[in-house]
Amino acid sequence: MKPRRKRVRLTFKNVAAHVLALIVLIIALFPIAIMVSTSLKTPMEFMSQRLSLWPSKITWEHYYDVIVERGFLRFLGNTAVVSIVTTLVAVGAGSMAAYALTRFRFPRKLDAVFLVWALVIRTIPPIVLVIPLFVMFRELGITNVRLILILGYQVYTLPLAIWMLIGFFREIPKELEFAAMVDGASRFRAMVRVVYPLVLPGLAATAIFCIIQSWNEFTYALIFARVPSDFTVPIGIASFLTEYKTLWGSLTAGGLISSAPLLLFTAVVQRHLLRGFGLRGVH
Amino acid sequence: MAKTIAPPVGRAEQISRWLEKHMGLLLLLPASLIFLFLTVFPLFYNAYISFFDYAFIQRLFEFTGLDNYRFLIEDELFIGSIKNTLRFLLTATTVEVIVGVAVAVLLNAKLFAKKVILPLTILPMMFPTMVVTAIWAIIYDYEYGFFSNVLRTFGLAPVRWLSDHRFAMESIALVDVWQWTPFVVLVILAGLQSIPDYLYEAAQLDGASDWQQFCHITLPVIAFHLQLVILLRVIDGFRLFDKVYALTGGGPGHSTETITMFIFKEGFRYFNLGFAAAASLVMLLLILAVSLIYTRRMWREMCDEA
Repeated sequence: MKPRRKRVRLTFKNVAAHVLALIVLIIALFPIAIMVSTSLKTPMEFMSQRLSLWPSKITWEHYYDVIVERGFLRFLGNTAVVSIVTTLVAVGAGSMAAYALTRFRFPRKLDAVFLVWALVIRTIPPIVLVIPLFVMFRELGITNVRLILILGYQVYTLPLAIWMLIGFFREIPKELEFAAMVDGASRFRAMVRVVYPLVLPGLAATAIFCIIQSWNEFTYALIFARVPSDFTVPIGIASFLTEYKTLWGSLTAGGLISSAPLLLFTAVVQRHLLRGFGLRGVH
Repeated sequence: MAKTIAPPVGRAEQISRWLEKHMGLLLLLPASLIFLFLTVFPLFYNAYISFFDYAFIQRLFEFTGLDNYRFLIEDELFIGSIKNTLRFLLTATTVEVIVGVAVAVLLNAKLFAKKVILPLTILPMMFPTMVVTAIWAIIYDYEYGFFSNVLRTFGLAPVRWLSDHRFAMESIALVDVWQWTPFVVLVILAGLQSIPDYLYEAAQLDGASDWQQFCHITLPVIAFHLQLVILLRVIDGFRLFDKVYALTGGGPGHSTETITMFIFKEGFRYFNLGFAAAASLVMLLLILAVSLIYTRRMWREMCDEA
C-alpha cells in the first residue's frame, strides 16, 4: 500500500510544533553560522565587539593565511594518510573476522569471547591504553609517528568495523556461496568472488565510519605527535586554541576546511548512522 | 596465491585442505593479533606498570607495590578530578537525554519539510569534535565572543564563561550538549518509529491525553533505546578530554580537571607513568562498574518484561 500523503493540518498544536522545530533548528545551526561568518570577517570587524552575524566586508585572507602561512595542508595530509591506512587495515582485518564470525562455528565459544572483547574495548577511554602503548612503542624503538598512530587507531576502528560488518555480512544469504562451491569454487574463492562484491556497499559505509573516527581522534595524536610537522588536524586546531588565541579567523577557516571532507562522508552514510551501535537507522 | 614452483600434487592438496579446514580461525587471526598486541597486552602491561615507581625521564623503575594506589586515594586532586568528571557527566547526560527525547518526539510529529529539518538538526554531531570546540571557544571568548557581545548590547557586564570556576565545567558541558544531543535524538527517533500508529489511535479513541499517551505508550516502547543511549553517553562522558584540554586546560585552578586530564598531566607532563597507570586503572574500574551495574539492570528489566 502506498502511504497516503496526509495534509498537514493547521491546528494550534501543529503551529506550536513548527515554531519549536524552528527554534531547535536555530540553536543547532547558529554556532555554525558564527564559525562561517568569523572565517569571512576582517579582524577589525571581529574585534569591534558589536553583534553582527553577517560580515559587512567579506575577506578570504584567513583561508590564505591558514593554508599558506600556518601549514594547515601538512596537518590535513598527515590526517588523510593516517586515516586512510588505518581504515584499510581495520576494514581488511575486520571484514575477514566478520566473515568468519558469521559463517563458521568456533570451539570453546571463541567467537563470543572475541565479540564481547570487541565491545568491552569501546568502553575503555583512550587515555588508559595510551600509557602502556607509549612505553611499548618506545621500548620497541618505533618512532615513526604515522605508523604509531595507524597502529594506535586500530584499538577503536577495528572493533567498530567488526561490529558494523557483522551486520552487513549477515544480510548476505549463505546459499549464494554454497551454490558457488557446488560449482567447484573453493570456500576462499567463494568468499572473495561472491560475498565480498555483494557486501561492498557495507564495506564502503564501514570504511567511512572508520575514516570519520580517525579524523576525529585526539588523545593518541596529542601524545605521539610532538612536533608540528607530525600534527593531525585536531592537534593543529588545538594548538591554535591554546597558543595563539587571537587568530580566530584562521582558526575558523581551518576548521571549515577540515570539516568539509567529514561532512561529505557523513552525508553519504547518513542512513547507516546508528549501525555501529547495533541499531537500525532512521528513515 | 599462485606458486611458480609446484609442490607435489598430494602435498598441495593437503595444504589446501588444511587451509580450508581452519579457514575460520585463519580469518580471525589478523584481528586477533591486533587485539592481542594493542589492547590485551597493553592492559596487563598497564596494570604491571602501576605497581612501580616509574619516572620515565630519570629512567627510574622501582617496585613499590600498592604505593601508587595509596597515594591516589590520598591525592585530593585525583578525588577532585573524579568529582569534576561526575559533575560533567550528570549535567551533560541529563540535559542531553531530556532535550534529546523532547526534540525526537517533536520531530516524530507531522512536520512540514521534515526531510530537511532532520539532517540540519543533527548537523552539530557531524562536525569534528575539535572544530566544535573551536566554535564554542569563539562564542565564549570574553572580549570578542558572541555571548559577551549579547550581554554588552543589553548593557550588562560580560562573563568569563571558561575562566570562572563557578560555571567553567557547565560551559564545557554545554558544548557537549550542543554536539551530542543530536545523537540522542537519532537513537530515540529510531525507537519512536518502531511504534505503530494504531496504538496512538486506539488511545485517542479511549480519550487518553497527549501526556498519558507519552507515559503509557511512548516511554515503555523507547525504554530500551533510552537506556542504551544513556549508557553510551555516560561511557563517552568519562573520556571527555579534548574539549577540556583545548578550552580550559583543566583550569581555572583545578575546577575542570577531569580524570583524563589528571592522568594526562601526571603521565605526559610530569612523566610519572606508574602513578598515571594506577589512576587510569582506577578510572577503568569505575567505568566498568558503572556499565556493568547498568547493563545488568538493563538485562533484568528486559527479562522481566518478556
